[in-house]
Amino acid sequence: MENAAAGRQVFNQKRVGLFLLDHIMEVFLIALIVGLTFGAHGFMTWDNWMNILRSNSLRGVIALGMTMVIIAGQIDLSIGSTVALAGVIVARSCRDLTPLGVDINLAAVIGMVLSLAVAVLFGWMHGSLVHRAGMPSFIITLASKFGLYGLAAIISGGYPIANQFPDWFNQIGGGRVGGQDGVPIAAIILIVAFLIVLFIMNNTTTGRATYAVGGNPESARLSGINVGKTIVFALVIVQVMAVISGFMTSGQVMAGSYSFGFGWELDVIAAVIIGGTSFLGGIGTVWGTLLGIVFMGVITNGMTLLNFDIYTQYIVRAVIMALAVLVSSYRAKVKA
Amino acid sequence: MSDLMIRTEHITKDYPGTRALEDISLSFGSGQVHALVGKNGSGKSTLVKIFAGAIKPTSGNFYLNDEKLHFNATSDAYDKGIVTVYQEMSLVPGLSVAENIFLGRLPQKYSSIDWRKTYKMAGVLLKKMKLDVDPREKVSRLSMWQSQVVEITKALSFNPKVILLDEPTSSLAQNEVQSLFEAVRALRDQGVVVIYITHKLQELPQIADTVTVLRDGRLIGSVEMDEVEHKDIIHMMFGEVKVQSRPKDIQIQDDIVMEVKGLSREGWFKDVSFSLRRGEVLGIAGMLGSGRTELLHGIFGADRVDRGEVIIEGKTYKRANPIKMKNAGIGLTPENRKKEGLILIHSIMDNLCYASMNITDNGWVENKGRRAEFASRQVRELEIKVPDIKAACSSLSGGNQQKVVVGNWLNTSPKIMLYDEPSRGIDVNAKQQIFEIMWTQARKGVSTVFVSTELEELLEVCHRILIMRHGKIVAEVNPDAVSINELYETCMRGD
Repeated sequence: MENAAAGRQVFNQKRVGLFLLDHIMEVFLIALIVGLTFGAHGFMTWDNWMNILRSNSLRGVIALGMTMVIIAGQIDLSIGSTVALAGVIVARSCRDLTPLGVDINLAAVIGMVLSLAVAVLFGWMHGSLVHRAGMPSFIITLASKFGLYGLAAIISGGYPIANQFPDWFNQIGGGRVGGQDGVPIAAIILIVAFLIVLFIMNNTTTGRATYAVGGNPESARLSGINVGKTIVFALVIVQVMAVISGFMTSGQVMAGSYSFGFGWELDVIAAVIIGGTSFLGGIGTVWGTLLGIVFMGVITNGMTLLNFDIYTQYIVRAVIMALAVLVSSYRAKVKA
Repeated sequence: MSDLMIRTEHITKDYPGTRALEDISLSFGSGQVHALVGKNGSGKSTLVKIFAGAIKPTSGNFYLNDEKLHFNATSDAYDKGIVTVYQEMSLVPGLSVAENIFLGRLPQKYSSIDWRKTYKMAGVLLKKMKLDVDPREKVSRLSMWQSQVVEITKALSFNPKVILLDEPTSSLAQNEVQSLFEAVRALRDQGVVVIYITHKLQELPQIADTVTVLRDGRLIGSVEMDEVEHKDIIHMMFGEVKVQSRPKDIQIQDDIVMEVKGLSREGWFKDVSFSLRRGEVLGIAGMLGSGRTELLHGIFGADRVDRGEVIIEGKTYKRANPIKMKNAGIGLTPENRKKEGLILIHSIMDNLCYASMNITDNGWVENKGRRAEFASRQVRELEIKVPDIKAACSSLSGGNQQKVVVGNWLNTSPKIMLYDEPSRGIDVNAKQQIFEIMWTQARKGVSTVFVSTELEELLEVCHRILIMRHGKIVAEVNPDAVSINELYETCMRGD
């Protein structure tokens, strides 16, 4: 009897510890916000928060898609190039179709549909090569990263294509709902994307299958789960997210350029990992990624307000990322 | 070389709830190959682990010549010259034979590796083992038996006094076994004590000088090989088995649920045909490497088949896949539940519902309530002992994990269940419960195919047993009309 009671107590302690470990990002984030509220002038203002949301939603939407990809046990390194390509295609389409008598709005829509089609095609290709040819997604998408980057540079002729978009397209990235001090449209897109991905991962068979495939592809296959379809789905979604981000990015700057999105894949992966998603697949939450995005946004914003130079900011971000991975590795060990 | 002798005195090993070894006193001398045999759970691997320093006996001692041995770690066993070669290969495929043999202790000269010496030393050892392989060759280019001999050569490089070979032929093809035996004889002639653990009785006359039989943790006997016959050894291994009988009320119905016709897969199984009736429990007896696992995978569509078809309730399936077969009403519990049956990092509840997602959910959208209902129904009906249904599956014992794999499939309301070695690595109680599940399902009209190496189990559980050898169904037996020894004979007969 005594043993059982002692066992239960240990068990409860373990559960409290696990709960804290599971929510350590929330704890850190709240501490950070409290600290910055008192330490950094101008942090806790409406304007500043809207600014944080606006500037982080560009990468944030991709991070949501990347969460699905990493949970499925895959990776997509090509998303930065997709961001550039999407903007460039829409800009070219607006510039070159309007002289032919096509309405500027229609030209923009044609460009958007075209870039979405390219993204879906690449996502599908990535997934199919992983599943059918057994190629690692790391390598395939690395190849796509270079290929799409080159394609974007060729399409844009090597220069930014500025001031071609219709105004509503610029609003996607730069506009606000409710006037000058309103909520950025980019932030609204992030929230909508968050809700959609959250629903997919938590409330659909595809979401469950994604966890299963990342957790153990062989068990998933032998349970009659369509592994190939699941992987393709995740890799298509992240590409679509990258295109949406590309629209926002080019709209915000009112130009399309092949240099946009360069190196974003690492920022995006960092946000996902900081959000507690396991790089080995099978474990992770969409909520965690949202926290990771906000966390990285807040810390960058705070450091800028505190006049940290950009290089110090890199070091701080590096330390945070290493700590986050340490925490999730420890968590996996405790739970095992 | 002087005579060596490893000897045990009254060794007993207790685990919580079970006694793995009881009062074992035996001795093995040099210049002979000593076969150590026994069925699964007989205690032979426990004894090996004691010699290897992996575990300590609860009581009793063991000696090398007259020196009493105390091992706290496996390295202690190495220091005393007792080396174990396990059945899983531990070689690094990308490195050369010589590097593998001296891995971690490559000879040095001027603080860099002395390659000339490495290859020379390896060459000498390989010659002793009569293995004609270039020490510079990469291990990945060797055949299975050659790698196995390199593994033994590596053991020999430690200048051992005792070598334990744990099922060295388990992954070898028939023709390779002879080549390995050459090497084992070469080893014996070096004056090393060779202990050869195996379950393949047909090998014994060729390689063993003495045979030691363990059963249920007890030493049954140690005999000279040329003094015994095959059937004596089988009798020693199994004793007088009292086979429990299955419940009498399970009736096979007349209609055929599944028909397998001429199913073949190059190199694994050939022209397999049988039919399965509703409510029938059909056993397939076959040793490791007989093609039984591949056959089940073939029926389930998990691996390709080259020829043949599976007919389920009149519908023919030729190029199947697990999704199709699941919808046709088949479920499979794989042999390796951790790697193929479960997602260990996920919860018990999730693992109970992966196969049945298309049933519990409303189209694409999950129905969490129904999923929880399905999961808890299996927990209740299969009596799965769970601390918390949301806990990770890795926290369960082997028996309960196996029940989760079974429950995952029962949630799909299958017509046919394929069980691949369901009792491996689980305790007696859990085994019995798994059999109960099979019978309960049979009463509901579910047909079962049950693959096992444990022949007593098949006799106990099945209505009919097919015997599979080298990829072919070679016999069909009625469990009520055959003894365990006869069944074992038929399974093991080498032809």
